[in-house]
This record gives sequence, C-alpha cells and structure tokens, in this order.
Amino acid sequence: MEYIYSVLILIGINIIMASSFNLIIGYGGLISIAHPIFFALAGYCSAIVSMKFGVPIPLAIVLGTLFSTVLSVALSLPSLRVSGDYLLIASIGFQLGFVEVIKNIEAAGAASGLTGIPALYSGPLRSPAFVVTILAVAALVVWLVHRMTHGDYGRAIQAMRDDEECFTSLGRNATAIKVAIFAVGSGVAGLAGALYAHYSQFLSPEQFGIIQSGLILTMVVVGGMGTTWGPVVGALLLTALPQAITFVNLPTAIMAPLQGMIYTGLVLLFLFVRPQGLMAKKVRQ
Amino acid sequence: MTAAIRLVSVQKHFGGISVAEDISLEIHAGEILGLIGPNGAGKTTLFNLISGIHAPDGGEIYLGDQPLSRLPIYKRARLGIARTWQHVRLFPTLSVLDNLLMGPRDYPGAGTDERAAAILARVGMSEARDKMPGELPFGQQKLVALARTLMNDGKVLLLDEPMAGVEGQVYETIKQVVRDEAKAGRAVCVVEHNVSFIRDLCTRAVFMFNGRIEQQGTVEELLASEKLAELYFGGKKGETRS
Repeated sequence: MEYIYSVLILIGINIIMASSFNLIIGYGGLISIAHPIFFALAGYCSAIVSMKFGVPIPLAIVLGTLFSTVLSVALSLPSLRVSGDYLLIASIGFQLGFVEVIKNIEAAGAASGLTGIPALYSGPLRSPAFVVTILAVAALVVWLVHRMTHGDYGRAIQAMRDDEECFTSLGRNATAIKVAIFAVGSGVAGLAGALYAHYSQFLSPEQFGIIQSGLILTMVVVGGMGTTWGPVVGALLLTALPQAITFVNLPTAIMAPLQGMIYTGLVLLFLFVRPQGLMAKKVRQ
Repeated sequence: MTAAIRLVSVQKHFGGISVAEDISLEIHAGEILGLIGPNGAGKTTLFNLISGIHAPDGGEIYLGDQPLSRLPIYKRARLGIARTWQHVRLFPTLSVLDNLLMGPRDYPGAGTDERAAAILARVGMSEARDKMPGELPFGQQKLVALARTLMNDGKVLLLDEPMAGVEGQVYETIKQVVRDEAKAGRAVCVVEHNVSFIRDLCTRAVFMFNGRIEQQGTVEELLASEKLAELYFGGKKGETRS
C-alpha cells in the first residue's frame, strides 16, 4: 500500500509541475526549461527555515513558495527581454548555474544533499494525508491554470503568444503578462517543491537537473501543450508507465535503461504520430 | 487644421542604410494623407517609427503635444495610435470576435462586446464573428484587421496597404470606412500603391524615396510631378498607371 501512496504522490507532484510548466511554455509560449530549479529553490528554502530557524512547516512551505515566486520575478525581468532560442539558452544557463550554487552551499547539504528535513505529517496516516494534500493541491493548480488561461486574461495570453508585436501595438503590455505567467508558474512549481521536501525529507541537487526538465517537458508535449488536461494525462502516463514495468521482475541493469527507452520511445512516437499531444485543442486555421 | 501627429527631423538607420532621413511631417485631424513611393522607400518604416516598433535615431514624434519617442509600443497605442499591417496579422487561434476584443485601449473595458458587434456590422462581417481568421478569404481578413484597429478608437489611424489584394465590395467597404473615420476627426495616414484609391480619398499626399520625403502636396500636384513619374513609375509624366 505504501508503494501505491508513493506513486500517487509522485503523480500529484508531476501534475503540479507539468500544469505550471504548461502555463509558461504551452500557453505563454515562453521557451524556458529552468522550471525544476524553482521547485528546488522553494524546497531548500522551506527545508532550511524549518530546520535552522524552527519555522512551523506550513509557514515554511508558504515562505518557500514566496521565495521561489519573488526570485522568478527578479530573474524574469531581465531574461524575458529576450525570447525564443535566446530565452531557452538563458534558462539552460540559469538552471546549470543554480544547481552548481546549491552544490556549494553547506547549509543546503552541498553536493551530498540535505537530510533530516522535518515531515509535514507524521504517524500512521502520514502517507494517505500526503496523498490527499498533494492531489488536492494538484486539482487546485489545474483549476487555477484553467481560470488564468480562459476569459479575458486567457485571450490576452493567447494573442500575446500568437503575435507579440501586434499584441503590444493594440495597447497590451506583453512584458507584464509574461512576468505574471512566469511568476505564477514558478511559484506553483515552488509550492510543489516545498511540499515534496517535507514529504521525502531529503533533497539533492541531482534531482533538479536538465533530465528533470526534459521529463516535465515530455509530460507536457505528450499530453498536449496549451490544454488544461494535457499535462494531467502526460503526468499520469509518464509517471505510471515506468512504475508499471517495475512489476516485471527484470534485473536493475536492464530496468533503468528500459525506463529511459520508454521515455525516448514515447517522445519519438508522439513526434511522428501525434505532435500536438494526446489532448490537443482543435485549432482551425 | 490641428496637427494630430507631428514628426520633427526623424532619422533612422539600419546599419549603414538610412531608412528615414530627416523626416518632418504633420498629419492633421480629419485629413486622409496618402503615403506613396516604391517598395523600400521607407513608408512602412515610418509607420513603425510612429507606432514604436522602431526607436528613432534622432528627431521626435509628437501626438498632440505629447512626445512619443521614449514610450513603448503599448503606451503609444493607449494614447490613441492605431495601425494595421501590410500582412493582416490576425491572431490565428482567436475567433474574429475575440480578435476585435483585443483592440480597445481600455482592455477589456465596459461595453466592449457591444462595440465589437457594432464595428463588425459596420464592415459587414457580423456573420463571421465566431469564425477563425483562417476560415475567411483574404479580403475579409483585411476587413477584420481594419475592424480590430477601429476598436482602439484612436486619434491617429495608420493603414498599411489596406487595398492590397482586395476588390469589389471589400474595396468599397474599406474606402467608406476610411472616409468616415476622417469625417469623425481622426488623422488617417494610408500607405498605398493603388493610385486611384489615393486620388479618390486623400486630401494630401507625400512621396517617399530612399527614406526621404521627396515631395508633398495635393494628390494632383504629386501625380503631375515628373520626379514622381520617373522615380516611382519609371517613366515620364503622363505615363502614370491608375
């Protein structure tokens, strides 16, 4: 049962990450892959303030989320002046740089990771309580992203993504929208990171590298960019499928490459067969 | 007449090429100014300088008494500079109505839906309100782009080749809208290669060549000019095509 709880928690975390990343890349058209770093920043912040300063965990989670949001705004203001390939390159640099910084901070456990993070819940109902919390947050995030991307504001986001120059010439402030999207998306990733830190009770810089970015991107692409349910389906599929093959009792030496092959195979399959993803919105052009 | 927009010695270079050389120009409220010249003359660049797509290297642009050069694109639009583009540039993933709803200066604004419906009716596109731009023929896309620009309710209307690729009813509708907008007190500037359109509508015209204003005056004066005939049409006076 504990295994199923852990898979459900992982699915919830990945839904939060994929949905918030979809807001940035799918709806906003901002090609940044530094999403996992905001997950890490909030996770470390929440863990450190609760461990070193005795801040109550719920408050530490809020502080971690805010820390991630504020930092994303500070970083987005200069980075969002560039777009397309340049933004992608800037985000890669940003991600690699931050991982290296974390590896060198003693208070964050440096390269070996931070252990002994206090858990949000304890006792026999710890795991089910985490499942309920994470899935409730995931549902809230899906709803929030849906609300943001529909109606007047959603229409503006869509128009900005379609043609930014034309959009601004109509009197709309594209930079304000981009910063808002980036802040909300990164803040939500931060919330996931803070919750994860107080669930797993361990954080390591290796968890937030380029591979993690690729995994979340795959979830969004396979599910369908710019759709409400695409990232949910992508997160479910790409979290559950590799877990499912663990039931086939293969040696570890085969299992790890097999999981990698499944990811790669799915990406290739979707690129050829259904590039718009599973839940793609019907676009009439 | 009041100058709605005023350009004073505006200059712009791209690398070593001068695309706007000491341009001084006034467009008055209620007039339709025709901007003519061959491709590469700097007509669209002038629109880009006024709307803020490009920052001038020198000189100043005033909307009334308000200097514009330091303002970003969106602030200029909010002050009342509305424009269309050579290529229609409708938002492809938004319906016709939603394209128009992007247009008001006070987005989303009160009564916007009603205003959008009224403007669509004015250009004869009410039936297309829920269609996607890609479902419409080119001429109707031009009408939607014009309608979206009208949503700005601006003081200055910059129309970049509104007649390119259109004919028949669409041509007549655009002509009527341009005329009505000038009557309503807007300063209208039209970049256009269609000489009969310029002749029918414009009160004044400016001839541009290689980033410079070569000549300005009434349309008749310009069309009678030997210099224009030679530089623009590659022939002598009296050989102009309409």
